[in-house]
Amino acid sequence: MTTALPAQPRTASEHLEAVARVQGVAKRYGSGDATVHALRGVDLAVRRGEFVAIMGPSGSGKSTLMHLLAGLDSPTSGEVWLGDREIGALDDTALTLLRRERIGFVFQAFNLVPTLDVIGNVMLPFELRGAKPSREERTFIGRLLGELGLADRLGHRPRELSGGQQQRVAIARALASRPQLVVADEPTGNLDSRTGREVLSLLASAAAGHGQAIAMVTHDPIAASYADRVVFLADGRVVAEEGRMDAERIARFMLTLEDAR
Amino acid sequence: MSGARAGSARTEHGPGVLVAALSSAFGVALIQGTGLLDAAAKADPVTGASDTVGALLRVTSVVFIGVAMYSGAVVTTNTFSVIVAGRVRQIALRRLLGSTARAERGAVAREGLLVGLIGAVIGLVLGSGGVAAIAAVARAAGVLADFPYSYANPTALLPAAAVVLTTWLAAVVGSRRVLTVTPMQALGGAEERSEEEGRASRLRSGAAVALLSFGALLLFGGVAIGAVDPLGLLVAFSGGIVSFTGVVLGAHLVIPRALRIVGRLMGGSATARLAAENAVRYPQRSTRSTVGLLVSVTLITTFAVALRTFGDMITIASGDDPVYYAGVDTMLTTVTVVFSVLIGFSAVIAGVGLVNALSLGVLQRTRELGLLRALGFSARQLRRMVLAESGQLVLTAVALGLLLGTVYGWAGAHSLIGAVRGAPALWFVGLPWPVLAVVVAGGVLLTLVASVAPARRATRIAPVEALGVE
Repeated sequence: MTTALPAQPRTASEHLEAVARVQGVAKRYGSGDATVHALRGVDLAVRRGEFVAIMGPSGSGKSTLMHLLAGLDSPTSGEVWLGDREIGALDDTALTLLRRERIGFVFQAFNLVPTLDVIGNVMLPFELRGAKPSREERTFIGRLLGELGLADRLGHRPRELSGGQQQRVAIARALASRPQLVVADEPTGNLDSRTGREVLSLLASAAAGHGQAIAMVTHDPIAASYADRVVFLADGRVVAEEGRMDAERIARFMLTLEDAR
Repeated sequence: MSGARAGSARTEHGPGVLVAALSSAFGVALIQGTGLLDAAAKADPVTGASDTVGALLRVTSVVFIGVAMYSGAVVTTNTFSVIVAGRVRQIALRRLLGSTARAERGAVAREGLLVGLIGAVIGLVLGSGGVAAIAAVARAAGVLADFPYSYANPTALLPAAAVVLTTWLAAVVGSRRVLTVTPMQALGGAEERSEEEGRASRLRSGAAVALLSFGALLLFGGVAIGAVDPLGLLVAFSGGIVSFTGVVLGAHLVIPRALRIVGRLMGGSATARLAAENAVRYPQRSTRSTVGLLVSVTLITTFAVALRTFGDMITIASGDDPVYYAGVDTMLTTVTVVFSVLIGFSAVIAGVGLVNALSLGVLQRTRELGLLRALGFSARQLRRMVLAESGQLVLTAVALGLLLGTVYGWAGAHSLIGAVRGAPALWFVGLPWPVLAVVVAGGVLLTLVASVAPARRATRIAPVEALGVE
């Protein structure tokens, strides 16, 4: 494996700021000859207000890495930290409660509960907790819905919205409870390119404006070019990472990764 | 057929075969049972001369078999419509490759015929075998005299044949949606679309309203006539049949509304609201999965209330004669219990349909449930949601059934003996509390039982399943 870009040196202070961090995580599926090594020892930290793109060819382990960061799955070995808490060994119930309170999700498609209207979907994480949002949180959500252009659609059902609008509702839901980490899985995969760019700008400004930490998995170089930092995975390892990159450089580097396979 | 396909056919058609077998077994057992009792009556020198007992037995069993088959057919229609909904992409692909919509629907209908045949044969064996076993025990105990009776009774083939026919019809009706599948659906994204349901025709709704109003008119007219002449029962009885046909035909108008009201009573938590919305998401499916239960509960309540009101009215009219009362009471209790048990069998079939509808609903919502899990729905909240959904369906059917049954029962009793001297006022109703309590307890039990398997399936869904597209 050639490393075209040198990994950036990290300092101790960066670790202190990290809101989500994995250290030496490995994930294996199956056993014996059928063992699949999805991750083979990955280190990664996402800091407050940082928008990180995780890229890699299919089978590189980027989805697995995202599942671990989001508390959807547990590593075979290594540590996963969310804030000051090691979550790698938590059981299903504990992980569920953790996701409810500390993680926001934006998926590629089928993001919303079809039977709930826009405001019902946005408030769902609060209702799951059984906690009424505080006045300050309500103000924040109101502002968020305004920024996302959803203020006049609160009573609409998902099927009455366009794909881009649905994705904005999902972003509003993910940001509403100001979670420690927002996880986005190919958030533009189902959108046309113009709508996709809008969604990416919204994510980038959420990171810059609200200090939200966001980890996005994608294979789209244009999507990754909106991120503050791009991490490349191949065969379950981080092969490179770099600050903001333009789409063309990202695409070229992705091609070298494909060639190396 | 490959192993995988055989496996999926087993899960897809398992409930259909089960329902067909239950209906067939019930029908065959009733025919064999009444045939046996008929033969016993003929062998007895006292009753042997008249055929009244046999005729009476045959007429009543036809009613019970009819109710069971109706329940079974409605449940099976639902099963097939859900099967078709799950196969849309597969059907679309074959349409894309050149198959016609009619050929696709015909294939589903043939599966229905096969399901009906298998179920009918199982039922024939179980029904005849069950009666033979009970008869053998009764003979051994000396309750039943030894007389010749052949179980190769051609009449017993009738319910089995009817099951084949109704199952096939149910498959034809349930597969209507095949016609709306376009080849394009094989190309589109894998996004989960809501199940488009054909709107019930205006004709059907109109007929339902007409039957209901005309039936209600006859029913209350019968009660009015009953105040002067017992012939009122005949008028009220036809009014009952006509209006209840209207209720069943127009169930798609009544049940979704009732479900909404009951859903509001379930509370305002996220779990309860989601469950309430799910129950009315596919109004046609919810209607089909509850109407069988509604029919059973209505009939049980009707008989029980009618007999109880009848008994109480007679007692009041006869001036509280304790000896007379005891005699009437025992007879009426026996009849109520026998009727309730026989109709209760249809409720079991309706219960199978409910379990099936809930399970497949969970299966179709895999990604939505995965999304909820990812967002932090705990396994417990998920279980509670399925339980609330099950409870909403059962509660709606039971409440409507109790209400309708009480009205019918009241009308039946008053139309027959309203004219008796000393009869209580028109609004007198005798409520058979033990029967009502058993119905409610049965509803609670069904709610719990019906939610076990779907809830387990729902909690097994990994949150990761909501991510990405297949």
